[in-house]
Amino acid sequence: MGKKKKRVPSKVWCYYCDREFDDEKILVQHQKAKHFKCHVCHKKLSTAGGMAIHVLQVHKESVTKVPNAKTGRESTDIEIYGMQGIPPDVLAAHYGEEEEAPSKAAKLDIPSTQLVGGLMPGPLGVGYPPQSTLGAVQPMYNAAVPVPPVGWAVPPRPQPWLPLHPAASVPLSAPMGYVQQPLFPVQGVRPPLAVPSTSPSLQPSQIAPPGLPVSAPTLPVSQPLFPVVNNSVPTQSSPFSASLPTSVPEGKGSIEAHSSGSASLTGGAGGNSHSYASGPNTGGPSIGPPPVIANKAPAIQPAVNEVYLVWDDEAMSMEERRMSLAKYQMHDENSQMSSIDAAIDRRILESRLAGRMAF
Amino acid sequence: MSTFGAAAANHNPNKSFEVAQPPSDSVSSLSFSPKANFLIATSWDNQVRCWEISRNGTAVASTPKASITHDQPVLCSTWKDDGMTVFSGGCDKQVKMWPLLSGGQPMTVAMHDAPIKEVAWIPEMNLLATGSWDKTLKYWDTRQSNPVHTQQLPDRCYALTVKYPLMVVGTADRNLIIFNLQNPQNEYKRVTSPLKYQTRCVAAFPDQQGFLVGSIEGRVGVHHLDDGQQGKNFTFKCHRDGSEIYSVNSLNFHPIHHTFATAGSDGAFNFWDKDSKQRLKIPIS
Repeated sequence: MGKKKKRVPSKVWCYYCDREFDDEKILVQHQKAKHFKCHVCHKKLSTAGGMAIHVLQVHKESVTKVPNAKTGRESTDIEIYGMQGIPPDVLAAHYGEEEEAPSKAAKLDIPSTQLVGGLMPGPLGVGYPPQSTLGAVQPMYNAAVPVPPVGWAVPPRPQPWLPLHPAASVPLSAPMGYVQQPLFPVQGVRPPLAVPSTSPSLQPSQIAPPGLPVSAPTLPVSQPLFPVVNNSVPTQSSPFSASLPTSVPEGKGSIEAHSSGSASLTGGAGGNSHSYASGPNTGGPSIGPPPVIANKAPAIQPAVNEVYLVWDDEAMSMEERRMSLAKYQMHDENSQMSSIDAAIDRRILESRLAGRMAF
Repeated sequence: MSTFGAAAANHNPNKSFEVAQPPSDSVSSLSFSPKANFLIATSWDNQVRCWEISRNGTAVASTPKASITHDQPVLCSTWKDDGMTVFSGGCDKQVKMWPLLSGGQPMTVAMHDAPIKEVAWIPEMNLLATGSWDKTLKYWDTRQSNPVHTQQLPDRCYALTVKYPLMVVGTADRNLIIFNLQNPQNEYKRVTSPLKYQTRCVAAFPDQQGFLVGSIEGRVGVHHLDDGQQGKNFTFKCHRDGSEIYSVNSLNFHPIHHTFATAGSDGAFNFWDKDSKQRLKIPIS
């Protein structure tokens, strides 16, 4: 296969605290040291859930929040490893702010490839590791997709591309980046190609598919498919993630979802990220989490971080406020002191009015 | 995170040694003698107490030595460089000089119009500097009843640090005024705090190249004085627990290693190295 034209996402970033890193290895080290570390014995685990289980079993204590995480990202249920497992809406939101241009460029290519993704890999999906909702990955893939088309081995999937399971697409996406996972044969997409008749319906842009039908057996191509798919969908990632989980089981049912194209994309996008992130060992971790992640994808991240200052009075310092307490007032025979106190009381009143002492 | 509640229940989680006859109200400042193992603590219960700290095998023993009383809560203290005399100031707007090692009685040596928040002894000038909420900084020769010099501040003094010839004063409204004590009548520089919240404490670098500033927002800023070194300035967050942000109450440098400690309202203290930008881990014995 030719060189994969994957574009490296501008930066990998930590789901729990939004910090950015140059490469994923550093990100993983950061997560292990900051979020997956047992607070009792300082043992570093590999996931938040693993850390919670360790603390429960070894130290008999229950951990409900991921340490050092931003509010809304503290759940120990959501399985994150490096860039894998990040819900698509969060992913999209993060990247949406950063690289508008590249993703737009990618989207142009995608329309054609969408079809491909849609096709569902149904059966193929099985082998496919859980797709990570890496929306960001999408841009990268676009490039990749065009390349493989040639080799796309349309999977023997008989189903006309209708059945595109969103689920199928999802699995595909995971491997996309690196993994060649012939398993998925993203080809799910391909089948549509095989059915020229159906393809027209499918395609919103199917330009790619037409080319594909030609080559059935080369699955590896499928991977690029996802990326592309994802790219187009990035905006829709959230709706898809929600739909994906449901569609997966059905496979066929998902087709409708797929037609929208975005669903599969999100799956793919997620997958892409996985593959990208964990190229060398995508197989293991990627498979596990995706189903979980897909389910959690619809979860809404709280928009506002509820942090508050324990001492929030800008007008006066702690000592000044304390001095005005009744308990320290007994000494104020001096007029000087009472004038100071009066000034302090006035300030307190003003700030109360200003609503500053909400807490 | 989960230890927050636990800490409240156990007031001595590190099994530290507690001094005998502690103050009955909050402690506002601590000061060790530069010459001997005497500890001074000032408190909101109006007292200034002194203990002698000694080793007792592997344990640490504290012996209450003496104490004096002010009329109102005492906010600040410092030793004279000869280790014989203690200065303490507070809400009674006075600073008392207490030659405790020679058994003398305390004497008032400084007065302000408002509570005195910070006091510092400057041996190179043989003067006492006092910062108060009356927006002035006064220099006192302890033998005279009038200040040698009164320096106007833009706002109430909240923090003070001296590392001759560098002196930094933190005031309300996030002002930081830097003085060169060789020319104390002029402000060397006035900067706005790099932190966006009220200044709580400042500490000058031992090499006088800059200073640290801590705020009520769980953040510490590292600021260099030299314009060429501004690139090395940075801030970092600390003393935060989940969604709660605690104030950084005190900053202190280690005289030899140049690492520093921060203490916060979350009841925790940490050690940091500003050059490697790391938090130091306390080895568990």
